Amino acid sequence: MKDYFILRFRMFNRQLTEWGIEPIIGYVVGFCVFVFSSNKLFEKTQYADYIFMVISLGVIVSLNEIRKNEFLKLHFSRVECFKIRILENLIISSAFIIFLCYQEKYFNAVILLITVCFLSLMSFKTKANFTFPTPFYKYPFEFAVGFRTNYYIYIFAYFLTFMAISVHNFNLGIFSLIVVMLSCLNYYTTTEDKFYVWIFSKSPKDFIRYKLKIIILYATILCLPIIIGLSVFFYSEIEIILVFQFLGYLFILTAMLAKYSIFPDKLNIRYGIVFGLTLWLPPLLLFIIHYLYMQSLKKLKEIL
Amino acid sequence: MISIENLSKSYGSKIVLENINLNFLKGKVYGIVGENGAGKTTLFNCIAGLEKHEGIVKYEFGLLKNYLGYLQTEPFFFPKITGNEYIKLLCNARNISITDLGERNIFDLPLHEYAVKYSTGMKKKLALTALLLQENKVIILDEPFNGVDIQSNIIIIEIIQKLKEMGKSIIISSHIFSTLSDTCDEIMLLKSGKIIQSVLKDEFSILENEMKLFTIGNKIERLNLK
Repeated sequence: MKDYFILRFRMFNRQLTEWGIEPIIGYVVGFCVFVFSSNKLFEKTQYADYIFMVISLGVIVSLNEIRKNEFLKLHFSRVECFKIRILENLIISSAFIIFLCYQEKYFNAVILLITVCFLSLMSFKTKANFTFPTPFYKYPFEFAVGFRTNYYIYIFAYFLTFMAISVHNFNLGIFSLIVVMLSCLNYYTTTEDKFYVWIFSKSPKDFIRYKLKIIILYATILCLPIIIGLSVFFYSEIEIILVFQFLGYLFILTAMLAKYSIFPDKLNIRYGIVFGLTLWLPPLLLFIIHYLYMQSLKKLKEIL
Repeated sequence: MISIENLSKSYGSKIVLENINLNFLKGKVYGIVGENGAGKTTLFNCIAGLEKHEGIVKYEFGLLKNYLGYLQTEPFFFPKITGNEYIKLLCNARNISITDLGERNIFDLPLHEYAVKYSTGMKKKLALTALLLQENKVIILDEPFNGVDIQSNIIIIEIIQKLKEMGKSIIISSHIFSTLSDTCDEIMLLKSGKIIQSVLKDEFSILENEMKLFTIGNKIERLNLK
């Protein structure tokens, strides 16, 4: 059992290192981010304790995936397996439980503790058998995979657009557009297997052009309900809508180029920082896109 | 014709492939055999251009990778991509449009389901179907028979024969010698990164016996089974 936890700890440290974060710095920054964002959450909303519990339970459920539990059952005795699961769940939820106590939400903390212990007895089949249909069949894979993983984000974004129109709040409408664009951008932050680039009989330039075509086509499809809604009900603001839409394409393009500029290595925290800077100062994109484009051509030439 | 000249590959100080010189002709099937870790997959990756290496890989029509279909030992699949979409992706990559996929799904795969949920054999059959639909001139099959049911093995052997008749070059690796002797024109033995033997069809049985003797040796006695 001790070996299992040592191994999990090492795996987590390796994951941090792979992201370009020194583990010790990762823990310190992670702790600060958790405390800061939790405080903000409790300041902003009166339902923070419930949101907190849902987040905590979401993490626990994802940890109790059926195949992992089958592995544990196969290699450990029944008692040890239960001990591992309860201890693992408690370690993960302890931060949430302690923070709830700090906020004097003792009842919620106890409920969370009991639920976490109860969940240690259950296994969840987090990967459902149902094949989610998408309109992105023609050009797999980024949007098809991403849409199936994050479909609820679109439901949320379209709901926000509906609310923005209902209460006549243009900023909320733009926010829903940003949500969709950020979600699309996220599809290009995961590095695919080298094979999926190698298969293309295209030059690096054509490959990037092909990927850009998919971005424009599919991001437009996802944004279309929002753009139409906002354009009809906030017609006087149509220029702002188009500017945000255009910026959205640029950001997704930047993410795609960033990925291929270091391909087949994975994106690391340095790229995250640069990306953060461009969000703060969008004109930087013009320089960064050019640089990343040249680097991508260089990297892709090695494979294509 | 594919011509490989002085191909070498090392990871740090560890030499994986050393001075490999090979020629692969059109309309021929070549088998590569060797123990686990002998360097077969690395050799295939180098030929395909998936790994950097020393030496030259020449192909008469230009850049080999643009004419090559490569079935990897363990094909990688995205978590939420259907069989249909996988085939579509691979065909798009070669600018090939597929309209009659249902008819050409000869392994009766559930193409509307997520590929990652397929069994090992089904994944292999899906990857094979996709690369066959890509209409490649050269095909590398790394362990094509692994995890595949006996009926599909028979189909794969027939497919290889058909591809050979069509004038394609095929390179196969397999741990099941009989599948290679059924399909290949020439078999090469790879050991510690070097091609140490190359035999034609009439000498396959001699090679098989030599391999058996060499591989087994006194290993069973050393195991001291009780």
